[in-house]
Amino acid sequence: MGGIDLQRSLVEVLTGAGLSSGAAKAIWMPLPMILIVLVVTVGALVCTWLERKISAAAQQRIGPEYAGPFGILIPVADVAKLVIKQGTPPAKSDPLLYTLGPAIVFISVFLCFLVVPFGQNLLISNIGTGIFFVIAISSIAPIGLLMAGYASNNKYSLLGGLRAAAQSISYEIPLALAALAIAMMSNSLSTIDIVSQQADYGLLSWNILRQPIGFVIFVIAALAECERLPFDLPEAEEELVAGYQTEYTGMRFALFYGGSYANLVLAGMLVSILYLGGWELPFPIDQVGDMLGIAPSTAWWQIITAMLGITAILLKTYFFVFTAILLRWSVPRVRIDQLLDLGWKFLLPIGLFNLLLTAALKLALPSWFGG
Amino acid sequence: MLKFLSKVGAYAKDAVQAAKYIGQGMGVTFDHMRRRPITVQYPYEKLIPSERFRGRIHFEFDKCISCEVCVRVCPINLPVVDYKFNSEYKKKELKSYSIDFGVCIFCGNCVEYCPTNALSMTEEYDLSTYDRHELNFDSVALGRLPTKVTEDPLVTPIRELAYLPKGAMEGHQVDHRQRRAGQRPEELMAESKEGTEA
Repeated sequence: MGGIDLQRSLVEVLTGAGLSSGAAKAIWMPLPMILIVLVVTVGALVCTWLERKISAAAQQRIGPEYAGPFGILIPVADVAKLVIKQGTPPAKSDPLLYTLGPAIVFISVFLCFLVVPFGQNLLISNIGTGIFFVIAISSIAPIGLLMAGYASNNKYSLLGGLRAAAQSISYEIPLALAALAIAMMSNSLSTIDIVSQQADYGLLSWNILRQPIGFVIFVIAALAECERLPFDLPEAEEELVAGYQTEYTGMRFALFYGGSYANLVLAGMLVSILYLGGWELPFPIDQVGDMLGIAPSTAWWQIITAMLGITAILLKTYFFVFTAILLRWSVPRVRIDQLLDLGWKFLLPIGLFNLLLTAALKLALPSWFGG
Repeated sequence: MLKFLSKVGAYAKDAVQAAKYIGQGMGVTFDHMRRRPITVQYPYEKLIPSERFRGRIHFEFDKCISCEVCVRVCPINLPVVDYKFNSEYKKKELKSYSIDFGVCIFCGNCVEYCPTNALSMTEEYDLSTYDRHELNFDSVALGRLPTKVTEDPLVTPIRELAYLPKGAMEGHQVDHRQRRAGQRPEELMAESKEGTEA
């Protein structure tokens, strides 16, 4: 418990320098926001690089190589290209919705990171509704997709947008049910509480062991929410050109592209927070500190644990991203009817069953299932 | 009730099997990641074309007797042979010869039928230009020999599968000068000669 608290430290320093506490807090406020936006952007860019490199490796190719060491600068080249590219709205498109669509998708994804913690106090805002907030905000994205599809004045875009809406609605329910089972076990919706409840015995207390069914449901639904293969129907190249993105170029396309990878990072973060113990290491770090005789409030120890925590959550997140990319090259795409079947006839009943099971286990074994 | 339970059981079995198959598929993709990329990084690396490679046609001006056989055997009568009949020597004098490689299909008929072996095929295949008219090679351009892949200091030559030493599967891993599997043509020739002599 405890851990590093940057806000308090900074506010103390600033009030010590003679500022009022309100002004000190106002100076603090934009810092974590900017930091998180930067981290998420870099995370999404790394995702695009990983996508290229891992896809290449899975097909015995090399992938990007000459743009920086191991082609690491290829996302920079991508962004630079998209930024300077001219945007060409199609004839008779709805100019307002055409621009608003990608913006809504992008903003809704980035807003979700408001409650995603990198450590005990390393998040923008620890609001009580935590995981519910993420689910609520992320369901705004399909409205943006629908807007983009409708405004493009293109039949493929419209079909893609409609499919995106249908898919998101179908898969949000199992996603919410899986998260609900976790919330029931943790007695809280707050992301911080959910992680703290997994902290006691390291690897053994992670929710994946207590919620294996929920984990599977959540991963499948999260992949579908990200519109990644095998659930990439809204942008199915083979049938719909590029779905709702068909008529997009330049910066507006970059918003979709960045948004989809940020969404993948978000899904990975959520999986690691809900099921893989968030920033907790596979062994309880606090007890290691006790054994070494270090007080939990020692500054350098706090910095080390915070660093290890950030590394842990990033590793878990990118493990999910890696699996998603590998899955992309292993699994054939589902048809739209199979997709809806999987959502409504498989994940939904299993999700309900999992919820009931969790409730029953919580009553029967309150010590293990958070009574 | 029992019927329902058996249905649920079958459904669960199906799901488990599907998960198993997905796992197997992931195993295959994962295994591919540790294999060496088969990419040949043209133009820094190039495959060595086989000795029968049908590349850009080479033409020797002095050997040509302007018989126009190449034009007749060409599917589209492509070679342009410009000559003048010299009545003094009663012989055709070649003035110019050209082949447009933008149109040529590299079938090799002209090479096959040329009575004086003035035509031959090289290993050159990268004929890209900024203007398609540059692909119309005149007799001077046709007379040039391409740089061999094995002799170009800027290029790492890589051998194709059939030309690798015994047991080797990857051109990247062997030196291109290493002896290939099986007997070489000259050895086969020597062997067959011994056979006829005996």
